[in-house]
Amino acid sequence: MDLRRKLFLRKNPYDLRKTGDLFLKAVRNDVAFHAENCPEYAQILKSFDFSIDDIDSEEMLYKVPVIPTLYYKRNYLCSMPEKKLAVKATSSGTKGSQSRVGFDKKTLFYGILMMIRYLTFHKLISLLPTNYIVLGYEPSKHTQMGAIKTAYGITKFAPALHREYALKDTGTGYELNNEGIKKALIRYSKSRLPVRLVGFPSYMYFLIKTLKENQISLKLNSNSKVLLGGGWKQFSDEEIDRNLFFELIHYTLGIEKHNCFEFYSAVEHPLPYVKCKNGHFHVPIYSRAIIRDVKTLEPVPPGCVGLLSFVSPLVSSMPLTSVVTDDLAVVYDGESCGCGISTPYFELKGRAGVNQIKTCTSDASELARKGAK
Amino acid sequence: MTDEDSYAELERLDTLIFEAREKASLSVSSVINACEVLSRTLNECDHLHLLLDTGMTENKARKELQLVKQILSKEYSENRIKTELGTPLGCFTPYGENISVRQEWKPLGVLLHIAAGNVDALPVFSVIEGLLTGNINILKLPGNDDGLSVLILQELIKIEPLIAQYVFVFDYPSHNVEAVKKMASASDAVVVWGGDSAVSAVRNMANPDTRIIEWGHKVSFAYVSDNASDNELDGVAYNICDTNQVFCNSCQGIFVDTDSFDEVVSFAERFLLILEHMVESMPNDNDPYLSAQNTLELYTERLESAKYRKRVFTANNCSVIAYDDMTLTPSYMYRNCWVRPLPRGRLLAELCQYKNHLNTAALICNERDKDAFETLLSKTGLVRITNGKRMSEGYCGMPHDGEFSLRRYMKIMSYED
Repeated sequence: MDLRRKLFLRKNPYDLRKTGDLFLKAVRNDVAFHAENCPEYAQILKSFDFSIDDIDSEEMLYKVPVIPTLYYKRNYLCSMPEKKLAVKATSSGTKGSQSRVGFDKKTLFYGILMMIRYLTFHKLISLLPTNYIVLGYEPSKHTQMGAIKTAYGITKFAPALHREYALKDTGTGYELNNEGIKKALIRYSKSRLPVRLVGFPSYMYFLIKTLKENQISLKLNSNSKVLLGGGWKQFSDEEIDRNLFFELIHYTLGIEKHNCFEFYSAVEHPLPYVKCKNGHFHVPIYSRAIIRDVKTLEPVPPGCVGLLSFVSPLVSSMPLTSVVTDDLAVVYDGESCGCGISTPYFELKGRAGVNQIKTCTSDASELARKGAK
Repeated sequence: MTDEDSYAELERLDTLIFEAREKASLSVSSVINACEVLSRTLNECDHLHLLLDTGMTENKARKELQLVKQILSKEYSENRIKTELGTPLGCFTPYGENISVRQEWKPLGVLLHIAAGNVDALPVFSVIEGLLTGNINILKLPGNDDGLSVLILQELIKIEPLIAQYVFVFDYPSHNVEAVKKMASASDAVVVWGGDSAVSAVRNMANPDTRIIEWGHKVSFAYVSDNASDNELDGVAYNICDTNQVFCNSCQGIFVDTDSFDEVVSFAERFLLILEHMVESMPNDNDPYLSAQNTLELYTERLESAKYRKRVFTANNCSVIAYDDMTLTPSYMYRNCWVRPLPRGRLLAELCQYKNHLNTAALICNERDKDAFETLLSKTGLVRITNGKRMSEGYCGMPHDGEFSLRRYMKIMSYED
């Protein structure tokens, strides 16, 4: 039996008891599978003198050679032929280049079951017909951005009556649909059914800011929810205080703070993390978060800032077993949170890189255009 | 100024500009004098912190403050005007004519400065160039402005109140197309600082009757042929550390006059030692976000070196990557440079592709080859050849991107009887 089945179908996503050994074995299987089916990955393992036997305990998981998201943006690693991939997605690529990922049927199957378990635990699955506001792009044939698929996927967790998109597909591109959103919200507020607003936090902020400026204050059904995920995109200057943000949501839409959920995920690490009531991303049993030193990439002790990396055996189509993101974070002991979930949690501390780099050097794309032969 | 005031001023911009044109009583000498007074006022005790606040190290801030004092001084301004505008134009009888002609440098009229936030206080220096050429100036502040520019302008206005009539500052974001169009239509020329996207946006936005003066992003490198001495390479390392490779004239990498990858690799190993030594003597602030980014970039390069022909050499807070291709790319900056082969026979063909994106080359070669290399490099889009150490150091009267800026902000009026 596939060990992943046992791991990803467990009822409580935060019950680490009895799953430690299972997780370790599943990771070992996953690494072995990729080493066998992806020659490039095998070469990477070899260049680190890595052997599967090195990971004989959870503490040794950091030894699985970690691959940066930047690597996936520039190189395509695959452990299965293209025809076996059931879905493909690309990262939204705020800084230019995009990662291309693909998932096989089995991975997708476990992924969806895991999501159902996970969201049921967080009481996000509902059978009530729901109206949606998608604060992102409308799905279309001309793009494969992962964020679009995620946002659309989330609209499946309560049956959708209607979906209104902030960025409407025009057939060849997208256009802003501010008026449509405003009208839909007013229409939804007159119905007795719950509303879910799904998408990027920056768009949510602009929406509630516009509503407030127009002195619109709605009272949506009390089961309505706000589900936010992804960074602040190109609007990082606008990032605002979390409490103020939720106050504004309550003021303009009548949705209480406990009905606002913030997700963390990445195309290269397609697992869900949702903030608990105390605002912490607890790590579920499907993965382990390892914080790595910003210079050496060696693990740092809990409480220290470093690069956020994950180990998870979910994906067989691509070697995404051990991935380092470009987010800086700190991991804390789960018990210290007090929300009732006991697994460790991480706190994001910003993106790697220079905030608004001051440079007058031509960037790669400017030169590449000139250099194109 | 509140947003409403600013909007009201924008609405009335045409009228305000017209009034300023009519009054036009600010002489160039009073601008030079105001700059001189400001230059003498600037001192480490009161002003060093303004530069330190932008994240500069103390040494760098001291150097920059001295530079600003020098650039604002009367002698500097006068010398600069003399070099850039040349011998005064005057009266003469043109060849084959029997008429008397008088020629004079005159301001273009109104300049809109769309300044980038990439160099501290750049916007104010753009405006000062506009004032020195007698122009009325509209300044659109960059999105990430550090406030230094407005501060300096306020000081100048305190010294010479007339300047206030010649400077209009707006803080609209670039995506407010309507506001930018309004400012552009009130101007005779738009001075745009920034990358290709900023330049293209202005080209699309401005009417054909408005001149566009572009100061775009550029790229610079070192070219090394034959036995470079440690001393010469020290100069290149100095530029890399001094500028953190963020300027258009900062060294991004080194081309070596060879087609052998082995030679490139051994040069990279040698240069890493030189760079490491320089980095130790010019420490940077240890920013974890920056370290994290560089670590991820170098680590990714290292992973890729398993399948591509490249070698990554790292030391404490710096790195050198040897590639086998001849492509010109930006570096990862902050003391991480590349080394690539570029045999002299391929130099012209490779570099000509980058046209106007090229800026400065540090040339390190045998004395006997110098003329030949200078001739070759001058045939590309490059505008300056110097040594490693001087790459980002300017001098009074130095052309900017191959042109005298002051001339671009002026026209030559011809008066005939």
